[in-house]
Amino acid sequence: MSGTVLIIDDSLTVRMDLTEAFEAGGFHPIPCSTLAEARQVLTHGPVDLVILDVLLPDGDGLEFLREIRECASSQAVAVIMLSTEADVKDRIRGLQRGADEYVGKPYEVGYLVARAREFLRSRRSSPAGSTTVLVIDDSATLRDELTRTLEPAGYIVLTAASGEQGLQVAADRRPDAIMVDGMLPGIDGATVIRRVRLDAALRGIPCLLLTAAEDAGSELQALDSGADAYVRKEEGAAVILAKLAAVLRAAVSSKPAENTASLLGPKKILAVDDSPTYLQELADALRGEGYDVIPAHSGEEALELLAVQSVDCILLDLLMPGLGGQETCRRIKATQIVRDVPLVMLTAMEDREAMIQGLAAGADDYISKSSEFEVLKARVRVQIRRKQFEDENRRVREELLLKQIEATEARAARELAETRAALVVELERKNKELEAFSYSVSHDLRAPLRSIDGFSHALLEDSADRLDEAGKTHLNRIRAAAQRMGSLIDDLLNLSRLSRAEMHMQSLDISALACSIAGDLQKAQPERQIELRIEAGLWATADPGLLRVVLENLLNNALKFTSKRDSAHIEFGMARGNGTPAYFVRDDGAGFDPLYADRLFGAFQRLHAMGDFPGTGIGLATVQRVVHRHGGRIWAESAVNHGATFYFTLSEAASQGESCEK
Amino acid sequence: MKNKVILLVEDNPDDEALTVRALKKSKIINEVVVVHDGVQALDYLFGDGAYLNRDLTQMPQVVLLDLKLPRLDGLGLLRRLRSDTRTKLLPVVILTSSNEEQDRINSYDLGANSYVRKPVDFEQFVEAATQLGLYWLVLNEPPPRRI
Repeated sequence: MSGTVLIIDDSLTVRMDLTEAFEAGGFHPIPCSTLAEARQVLTHGPVDLVILDVLLPDGDGLEFLREIRECASSQAVAVIMLSTEADVKDRIRGLQRGADEYVGKPYEVGYLVARAREFLRSRRSSPAGSTTVLVIDDSATLRDELTRTLEPAGYIVLTAASGEQGLQVAADRRPDAIMVDGMLPGIDGATVIRRVRLDAALRGIPCLLLTAAEDAGSELQALDSGADAYVRKEEGAAVILAKLAAVLRAAVSSKPAENTASLLGPKKILAVDDSPTYLQELADALRGEGYDVIPAHSGEEALELLAVQSVDCILLDLLMPGLGGQETCRRIKATQIVRDVPLVMLTAMEDREAMIQGLAAGADDYISKSSEFEVLKARVRVQIRRKQFEDENRRVREELLLKQIEATEARAARELAETRAALVVELERKNKELEAFSYSVSHDLRAPLRSIDGFSHALLEDSADRLDEAGKTHLNRIRAAAQRMGSLIDDLLNLSRLSRAEMHMQSLDISALACSIAGDLQKAQPERQIELRIEAGLWATADPGLLRVVLENLLNNALKFTSKRDSAHIEFGMARGNGTPAYFVRDDGAGFDPLYADRLFGAFQRLHAMGDFPGTGIGLATVQRVVHRHGGRIWAESAVNHGATFYFTLSEAASQGESCEK
Repeated sequence: MKNKVILLVEDNPDDEALTVRALKKSKIINEVVVVHDGVQALDYLFGDGAYLNRDLTQMPQVVLLDLKLPRLDGLGLLRRLRSDTRTKLLPVVILTSSNEEQDRINSYDLGANSYVRKPVDFEQFVEAATQLGLYWLVLNEPPPRRI
């Protein structure tokens, strides 16, 4: 991986040290001693990473950071602040101004290069295309030999002289394959492979164990460690290449997630202690291990820093002035974003009481300050690894859960869609049936009625002389029944047709419509005394044909049920009382018993004797059907002999406020 | 000039009797020829089958056509009449029980001249027959023969 790294530091030593380290790491470093120089570099072309000192001869590094973040061409570049001003306050200021990382001096150069690589990896979605092989062997001769074998075959070769160094390179560079010698000083090859297998980010990398031994046990040892294959060193180049190609092929299907943090990658530790001396010693020891250490001198400082800086482990002194270790720990463990960071409590006291105090506050581990730093380093390593495994487990669990949820949702959606499709098909079938039914009713049911009426009529005319009055009355009753049956069929067909008819909504003057209908009805009964009161200027959004059916039925009913009065008062208007405004039709006629109000709107339901008021009992059912199709409501109020009022709305919008009263 | 015939296409004998009676009551004196399905109607109009030797220069003044008929139904017959130059302009009045919208649309689509629904009340039926007779046999000017 290559990338341009702009190094801005006024110290020649630092510039040389970093330039050398980044060059060795495969980067292209550009050292600058002043901000003016750096600005010059930035105008010439893009850089991938900036390492920025805070105190510079010609200005403030933090100001320059602001410039970088404000400029469109450079605002996305990764910036690592590197400063002796590494107090918690300085760190917070830097991170708040948009630094990606803040490293204090003295720094660990390996950590810096590793962090740089992490930044560049996360910024580049696709790493270089060619295949990289890491060779770990303590013999320089063998390293060279393998390099000469692999490079002509198109591989990029990385080398490491020890297991520890190899693991570091593996974490930094994420090779496509690792070849490791079985016999190494320090950790041996089998251990290297086992560690790779334990790391979430690296475990997918195929490993070949190199061995000098010829005994059968070496193969067992290789497989036991989790190696994908083993190669005897004396085997020829062709065999080695073939085995490498084979493990690479097998590994293609199981590439590790690029974004998984490596267990062996650069780690940041927050050390909190009120003693500067101890803090210094601790920081030095941990830096030697490759960690970046942020020193904080109090619990308050630590909490402030944790709000802007994520760390991998916290070392916390139990006895401190101010907030104190126990309370600091409690607060950290009560904060969502940092509660999972491993926290190791440090104390000078070597007693049970202190240990219990620390653990009770939520610390993950406890260590006495008198312990050797080696013990402390080991504890830190264990905690970081534990955290890594937890993260990984959680991620796997979450992924599984997510998959389950997705599968369940998909199944539910599929079932819903199937059910809906089935319902639509069923509905269409039912509609077709209904249409066929009403078609045949329309054609076939009326014909016999016509015969009954027609031949009764013929009998009355042709055989009048042979019929007495009773016979003629009977025939007239037969005719009346046939005609009534005809009306019933027509009304039923009408009701069914209204339910199926397409609606064409428009805004219309409902007052004018009521006026015209009432006028027609009045003209049909000129002998009656009818006083009509129709509120002017009411508008509605409705299907004109269907709305006419509603008003015709309601006004016709009003006329019908006032027919026994000397004079009738019929009113149409809008009721604006409490609740939704509603149109109403009111009369002062016969009314009905409110006890039976719920039967008003059922088909064939009649509340009056046929002899008193004629009708098929379908009118109000039709009205209700139309009102419902508009999304409205209909209800009635009445008392026997005190008239009736029918209220209706036509959808919420149509019956609300000004839209009705243009 | 001899009065032209009325061709009534009706399969229900009750309806046939009532229609003939209604026409008679409305003082229509034209001869009413009755056929009982669409095929017979075609035979009559084009001189085939039972009407092999009919004088084809004598076409009905108006055809009263029911929709539901055995064999060839009303709409089928209408389609055939409108596609033949000899009967393309023949006045056809649909006389049926149904007032289904689809029936009305189809009838007019296929070139019916009028659509009348047979009422249940016989008195209304006579009234309708009277109006029909007045219009189609007296007022309406038929198209010139042979175009």
